[in-house]
Amino acid sequence: MDLSLDESQQILVDTFAELLEQECPVSLVRECEKTGFSEALWSQYREMGANVMGLPESVDGLGMGLLELGLVAQRSGRVLAPVPFVETAVAGRLLAAIAPGDPLVARIAAGEAIVSLALPRPHAVTGTGSGRTGRALVPFGAVADAVVGIDAEGLFVAEDAGKRRGPRLRDAGSGALAWWSLQRGEGAAPRALATGDEARRAMARASAEWKLLTGFWLVGLAQRALEIGADYARERIQFGVPIGGFQAIAHPLAECAIRVDGAELLAQEAAWAEAEEPDRFEGLCSMAFAWAAQTALRTADVSLHTHGGYGFSEEYDIQLYYRRAAAVPGVAGGAREELQRVAELCLAPERAALGGA
Amino acid sequence: MDFRLGPKADEVRREIRTWLAANFSEEDRRRAHEDGGGHDWDLYRKLAAEGWVSAGWPVEMGGGGRDPYEILTLYWELCKAGFPWIGLLNNGFIGHTLMAMGTDHHREHFVPRIASGEIAFALGYSEPGSGSDVASCRTMATRDGDDWRINGQKMWTTTGHTAQYIFMLTRTATLDRPHKGLTVFLVPTDAEGVDVQPVHTMGGERSNAVYLSNVPVSDSARVGEVDKGWSVVRFALGLEQAMGYADLQERFLEDARRWALAEQADGGLPFDDPRVREQLGQTAIHTEVARLLRHRSTWLSAESRPLGGKGAMTKSFSGSSYLEDAQAWTQLVGSAGLLAEGEDGAVAGGAFEEAFRQTPVNTIYGGTVEILRSLVAEVELQLPKSR
Ligand SMILES: Cc1cc2nc3c(=O)[nH]c(=O)nc-3n(C[C@H](O)[C@H](O)[C@H](O)COP(=O)(O)OP(=O)(O)OC[C@H]3O[C@@H](n4cnc5c(N)ncnc54)[C@H](O)[C@@H]3O)c2cc1C
Repeated sequence: MDLSLDESQQILVDTFAELLEQECPVSLVRECEKTGFSEALWSQYREMGANVMGLPESVDGLGMGLLELGLVAQRSGRVLAPVPFVETAVAGRLLAAIAPGDPLVARIAAGEAIVSLALPRPHAVTGTGSGRTGRALVPFGAVADAVVGIDAEGLFVAEDAGKRRGPRLRDAGSGALAWWSLQRGEGAAPRALATGDEARRAMARASAEWKLLTGFWLVGLAQRALEIGADYARERIQFGVPIGGFQAIAHPLAECAIRVDGAELLAQEAAWAEAEEPDRFEGLCSMAFAWAAQTALRTADVSLHTHGGYGFSEEYDIQLYYRRAAAVPGVAGGAREELQRVAELCLAPERAALGGA
Repeated sequence: MDFRLGPKADEVRREIRTWLAANFSEEDRRRAHEDGGGHDWDLYRKLAAEGWVSAGWPVEMGGGGRDPYEILTLYWELCKAGFPWIGLLNNGFIGHTLMAMGTDHHREHFVPRIASGEIAFALGYSEPGSGSDVASCRTMATRDGDDWRINGQKMWTTTGHTAQYIFMLTRTATLDRPHKGLTVFLVPTDAEGVDVQPVHTMGGERSNAVYLSNVPVSDSARVGEVDKGWSVVRFALGLEQAMGYADLQERFLEDARRWALAEQADGGLPFDDPRVREQLGQTAIHTEVARLLRHRSTWLSAESRPLGGKGAMTKSFSGSSYLEDAQAWTQLVGSAGLLAEGEDGAVAGGAFEEAFRQTPVNTIYGGTVEILRSLVAEVELQLPKSR
């Protein structure tokens, strides 16, 4: 057993920590509240090679593993970096695996295209998935040049953003969500990538990776939200003492600290399982995502309430964390929806429909 | 990173499962369950004969030199199988403590007899007036020539009715400096003046109240210096808190899963109900997180890295998530879920019913979750002391 990062992983974390401290102050996040995306920061990410980290070396990528990608996602989540790092990494890996010659792969490698995914699972309650309605709410869809999706005919990539991409939507997390029309009859025909089981397997894999990396991102969000709350609890004085000395403040924060550690370990275990325990990989990704989503919301909530009225004001940063803690995982249906996937993938894999259709 | 416990632990898992299959029958399990005392001398001595009681102690001390991952696996498998293992657990703690803080006399006279399965210890910290505030203990030890006399009462002395000794915290100086005037003794339960009375619990676990009137104890039974017992108890308590109940959570999850995937009288599967799937998913995640936190505590101690508040995190999360799950299932499965094992129509072999009664104590003994959260807040978040 070894629960520590190796030297190169630690260097990667430190490098991104340094970059983001400089290039992604909270003032940038606030400036992007109306767009959900920073072109300037994304170009810094590209300069660091973030767009090619997940691509295999055969297509000019850096061939990094999911743990390394997760560590970068986690640092990004800490500072709420408004860039499509996770989406580009996952879509790039999917395309490189199934259609390495597709022109989009080269464009991702060159830093010329933002590619996102229409996550396949239709939400049981609101029905917002590509499977049911022919259109999908796409993370970073408002700035995406292409979207990978799946329907009854198979896995495809849709471009023609001019016709298919809706306007950026205002959402609770100030993201860059947009509807993408994925009807085959509209606009330029989507490019078929795979059909049948191959298509379903590839999409199931990509959704698992998106959930895992988003889980890491949410762990980063939760870790920073916890620090913000604990710092405030040490400094804010009421009744003549720091409020962190009141157990009604201290205990919920402690409970979050425990859950956040668990979420980090779970995400790391899932990333490790890709190579070492492949049978558990998708189930662990689902767990890591659901738990990170639950934990991020709880932690941001506890931290917000630690601030009293100030937590509710726009001026304090914790509200930025609170809103994203629910909005970011919501794209995949949210935590409660995911719990059912956990049960299917981990406890009854023979009953879990491929591709989550 | 590597999340495996390693080949030696896998080997222990195989060995102990084989041993259980040969030596621990379904009838043994039922008997232990009904008795609730947490210790069975026959079974325990068979385990000791195989060297398992001292498996985690250093070889120089006559132990098995097994690493922390092997010991974790040993406890995990016994606990999951329903083996009455509290005696084993206590003796492991006390053996370690005596090796680290005892005298040569303790190491020669007690340690080998613990290893061979001859004697067992109960833990005597709590009292009627002293629970979370362990250091407020009032059971008095007073000088009687070179030796001592003990007067007072202990509470919750689990296995006190089967053990030959109690690892007992006493007061040897006045209460004005609570942590300073404490001393630990190994008190024989057959000494004159010791009266052990049963305390029954709703979880089926049996504990004891121990009355002490003028009990003579030799000075050689003292562990650590006079008035310095607090550090001895802190050491032993630290060993206890890093564990949690992930093994029991895993068994509970397996029971719930088996029930959810078994066809019911009407031909349906509980698993097809989204509420059941949602609760299974939550229980599976809690179990995995509890397991990871426990593995982390074990890894930290195997690597001799500081534990900080991470032992407290392990126990606090495991205790409270298991309780939360047990209660959630109880509300989901209705009255059939509250029928006991063996009753007509009992759901999941009574697993939900039993967990409902058993889980509250996991957030209480060995340090309540409230105390553990205070510890985590202080050590991990540097918040002001709140106790
Ligand atoms: C089945 C069982 C077996 C046990 N076995 C043993 C054993 O073998 N040996 C042994 O020595 N003990 C044993 N115990 C005792 C156990 O360790 C104590 O019950 C526990 O430490 C709590 O003490 P208490 O019951 O006196 O509760 P109290 O300390 O009176 O606490 C009551 C409530 O107040 C809270 N509280 C107390 N102080 C604070 C504070 N500063 N801040 C916030 N909240 C606080 C507690 O968390 C709890 O909710 C056992 C208990 C049980 C139920």
